[in-house]
Amino acid sequence: MTRLYLSNDTSALAAGAERLAEAWAGTPAVELVRTSSRGAFFLEPMVERDMPEGRTAWCNVRPEQLRQILAGRGGTPVAGIPFLAGQTRITFGNFGITQPLSLDEYVAHGGFKGLSRACELSPDAVIWQLKASGLRGRGGAAFPVWNKWQVARETAADRKFVVANADEGDAGTYCDRMVMEGEPFRLIEGLLICARAIGAESVSIYCRREYPAAARTVQAAIEAADRAGFLKLDGRRIHFELVLGAGSYVCGEETALLESLEGRRGVVQAKPPYPAVSGLYGKPTVLSNVLTFATVPGILAHGGDWYASLGTERSRGTIPLQIGGRVKQPGLVEIPFGATLEEVLERFGGGMADCSRFKAVQVGGPLGSLFPASRLGIPICYDAFAEAGAVLGHGGIVVYDDQTDMVDLARHFMAFTAEESCGKCTPCRIGSVRGREILERIQAGAGLPGDLELLAELGDTMKAASLCALGGRAPYPVLTAIEHFPEEWAIGKRR
Amino acid sequence: MRPTNILQTLLAVQDALGYVPPPAVPAIARALEMSAAEVAGVLSYYPDLRTTPPGSHLIRVCLGESCVANHCSRVLDAVRGHLKLDVGATTADGRFTLERVYCMGNCAVAPTVAVDDRIYGRVRPTDMVAILDSVADG
Repeated sequence: MTRLYLSNDTSALAAGAERLAEAWAGTPAVELVRTSSRGAFFLEPMVERDMPEGRTAWCNVRPEQLRQILAGRGGTPVAGIPFLAGQTRITFGNFGITQPLSLDEYVAHGGFKGLSRACELSPDAVIWQLKASGLRGRGGAAFPVWNKWQVARETAADRKFVVANADEGDAGTYCDRMVMEGEPFRLIEGLLICARAIGAESVSIYCRREYPAAARTVQAAIEAADRAGFLKLDGRRIHFELVLGAGSYVCGEETALLESLEGRRGVVQAKPPYPAVSGLYGKPTVLSNVLTFATVPGILAHGGDWYASLGTERSRGTIPLQIGGRVKQPGLVEIPFGATLEEVLERFGGGMADCSRFKAVQVGGPLGSLFPASRLGIPICYDAFAEAGAVLGHGGIVVYDDQTDMVDLARHFMAFTAEESCGKCTPCRIGSVRGREILERIQAGAGLPGDLELLAELGDTMKAASLCALGGRAPYPVLTAIEHFPEEWAIGKRR
Repeated sequence: MRPTNILQTLLAVQDALGYVPPPAVPAIARALEMSAAEVAGVLSYYPDLRTTPPGSHLIRVCLGESCVANHCSRVLDAVRGHLKLDVGATTADGRFTLERVYCMGNCAVAPTVAVDDRIYGRVRPTDMVAILDSVADG
């Protein structure tokens, strides 16, 4: 019997792994082991074997290739796949290798070393490692992680909470989905380390409902970890709960998420008070993104200085970029901060998909700025993007080809804002609707002189007067579409 | 004792009935000792909460950026054309409800269409007829 590794990640399944598993089910010669995905989705479905020279992969596999695979013909050593070999996989190092729900495999591959180390240190020493690492929140706000933990630790209360933001609402992003489906114990370990540092006994994971497989996997991982006795700190049981969202984009914003966890409308709340001081049920709460928590075990296991040795001065460590859109090689790319957007699109993205010409790339989700070909030299780090009026966000990179109409795209983003607005701030609630109406008018060929100036003015108001990044960033996709593609916006020239 | 959670209560009602009937709002409010306005406010806020019964099968076409970049509007048009159905509506025979969704995390294998629990990737407009025809009625 030959052991074959096949991923059960949602995107691997959608790419054809489900069809392979169905076709090969019950084949006596085959032992099918389901793993996380390597994240090289352009190669999925991938089938791997242990060969004398190491793990060997067959890519874009069709069911009828089984005989060839069992004969060991035509495979590629995984170590020789450029897309993977060029990455620095420190958070995603086990992806494609381990079974997501195997505690034994997680431990054998370094799992829970970080937690052991954290339990040997004082809470202050744990927070010191976070500080030394330079880790900034990976959800989008890029706030220094150690600072949140410190404030929550120092705020006196009878209860404290840790909350994982697993809403991952930015379209074009999927690294949190991969963590939850592929290595849920890593998320659990990071949450436990945080609970130890701040003195919390309750952990909540708020997962978007659009990720059913991720939610099921995390739930199963919580139960497995509990049965094995891992959900304990200093002899006390740590309570974990998984809660599903209900389709609201704004509930990915931390204060709206806490409102939603408490069962109310996900309306953004003014800060201060900050959640670290007064969060869930008014208690000190560390709320961070899944990826942020997934990065923590490595920092405790190897030391904050180790993590800080990668990346740039003010953007330390690695970022798992999620490439999508019209590139040849969509997938997860974990690299140190500092490479340029152009390098990433060429070296990892592989350039444009067949029969596609590059038009623009959007970084940071639906509120991200559009970059034309002339602006791809920007280094991927928080400061360079902030200087350019752009955001890295959660690391999503989406490439558009020349069949995409920029007016239609701008309208799509403004309509998205109008639909998702929580309604609290007038400029966002009403401005997004008016913005959508102006864009629809322009799209229908009924644009008026002064419309573009009006959009710019509307944009200024939304930027200045919105409580959260939805209203604050909504103008950017529209204004960068106008700035970089003026020829598409000539009023009166559209059909 | 756990604090009252309107959202989780409404989701539980929807799990049981398939939707939250608006006439049930006052009864839910009384049970939670909250105002009908508060309950109605939560019901109207979340896209996943519905106030009308869904069809037997839910089709969700993703309109996230990577799907948009991969021209998902053509896929959506194919579904609308084949079923003669608009977004948010249910077919006359009650079989299919069509909705849009903003990101299922399948961005690297876009365009994405979900039919009930099954997620399809790299969907071309011409694939939709076969996908819809394959939906079994149990």
